[in-house]
Amino acid sequence: MSHVIAACSVRGNSENTDKDLKTALISWLPTTPRRIDRLILQALLCTAPLKAMTRRDCGLYLASRHPARATMGSLLDSVCVHQLQPKPFEFVNSVSNAAGFHVAAQLGLEGPNLFIGAGPNVWKHLQAMAALDLADDLVGQALLVVIDEDQAFEAQAVLIAGPSQAADFAGLTAGIDVLQLQL
Amino acid sequence: MTPVYLQRGALHSALGADLRAANAALRNGLQPTANTVLLHELQAPRAYLAVAGGETPGEHCDRLIRETLGDEPGALDDCLLIVASTSLDIDELEARAARHGGFHPDHSTSLDLIAERLRERFGFVDAFTLNTACTSAANGLLYGARMLGAHLYRRVLVLAFETPSAIAQQGFGALGLVSPSGDYRPFHPQRDGLVLGEAYAATLLALEPGPAPLARLLGGFSACDTSSLTNTREDGSHIEWVMREALRGAGVTAEQIGLVKPHGTATGANDSAESNGVRRLFGEALPPLCVLKPWLGHTLGACGLTETLLLVENLAHLPACDYARDALLPLSGEPLAVTEGSLLLANYFGFGGNNASLVLQRGAGDAP
Repeated sequence: MSHVIAACSVRGNSENTDKDLKTALISWLPTTPRRIDRLILQALLCTAPLKAMTRRDCGLYLASRHPARATMGSLLDSVCVHQLQPKPFEFVNSVSNAAGFHVAAQLGLEGPNLFIGAGPNVWKHLQAMAALDLADDLVGQALLVVIDEDQAFEAQAVLIAGPSQAADFAGLTAGIDVLQLQL
Repeated sequence: MTPVYLQRGALHSALGADLRAANAALRNGLQPTANTVLLHELQAPRAYLAVAGGETPGEHCDRLIRETLGDEPGALDDCLLIVASTSLDIDELEARAARHGGFHPDHSTSLDLIAERLRERFGFVDAFTLNTACTSAANGLLYGARMLGAHLYRRVLVLAFETPSAIAQQGFGALGLVSPSGDYRPFHPQRDGLVLGEAYAATLLALEPGPAPLARLLGGFSACDTSSLTNTREDGSHIEWVMREALRGAGVTAEQIGLVKPHGTATGANDSAESNGVRRLFGEALPPLCVLKPWLGHTLGACGLTETLLLVENLAHLPACDYARDALLPLSGEPLAVTEGSLLLANYFGFGGNNASLVLQRGAGDAP
């Protein structure tokens, strides 16, 4: 039996500016946080459409292949090339779990909030951690998120209410309508 | 939670080249000597606790694995690797950016790069990178242990480290969180911030004690306080809730706790919130408390393991605090000795609202 409640997939490419992402996000989140970077925007874009279905006792299990490159680049250029102090908001955004914080804050999630580097078995790892919290009744729902950007980007989110062991996003969401957003 | 053993441990820190040396330094009251880092633009000096010896982060990781698994680790096809760190390969990226006069998008490496490299080299059955700021290693221990309890793996190696990253040094400096005085004084009324530390640590988790277990992890809890990205609620209510859930998960009560190891960053807001949270949980009946960051520095994502190892190894020789009478929490002005089977509550908090608490017991332990 599938425990999947809802899912969303957002696709775009490098030509989609952060401003484009923010414009798209406003239709789901009228008051978006200020001074957030591209990874945070992508995480919010794929999770905000699921907000109406999430409960407070939901854990967040988020993964990204890379940090936000623009944030990392700006920090590296400031600190290592120009010998300047980093901008405080860029430094704070560079903490990998900043995206998870903003998702939890915007969706009102009070459960565990974990961030992992997305490797070859990313969906397996996210599902395993969520299954532990679901089995121990620490959470009633789990929101799994994977973000991957190279030239194109894809941000995928799945809301589940029970353990699952799918190989990937397609397997996890088989049989349900996935909200597809193309920027 | 099913109790899980920390069978072996390894630590490379400013306090010593290995765990044994760090234990000896702590017991003899030999605090590490800090290096000086200059904050850019301000040209203001800040203390930094570096690891001596000149090994690269890669060499440290190799030595940690040898010290934890042995020179001939054998097949690791039953062992999960969890890499817990906020710095990961930032030292390489910083060097590359300096060399090339700037960052280029193709310099960007996968956040999973180090875990995947180590998995391939050593033959771990699986590996992933966990990064939840300063709770990274605490969450690595907690979720690694629970994966063992669920029989997903037979062993888990948690590898935690923080390299001397210029971005971290300058970033915390820009936030005004690094101590100008260099005196690392958690819970002091005139505390003026943290001192960062470099460290590398590893532990092998298993359901069986092995020949000489360091400790048992009995339970823990981790959750996100969404009130602020950089601070937890100052009234301590979220910290209290996390500690209560950790105790509940371990099946113990606050009255049974024999020692609290606070997070104790010595930043204004964190120590105030943690002091409130600890008092909300324990009321007037506070157990002994011991802060360890002055001995290692704040080792950020690794502190959940570096401080846990130093704590469980030194229960009979915990250091005195020379400002105990003035501290926000009743730290001990005399060296502390806690009995072997005491239950320990260890706190680890981080940016991103991540708060985590672990319940531990030294050695093989008896059921609480």
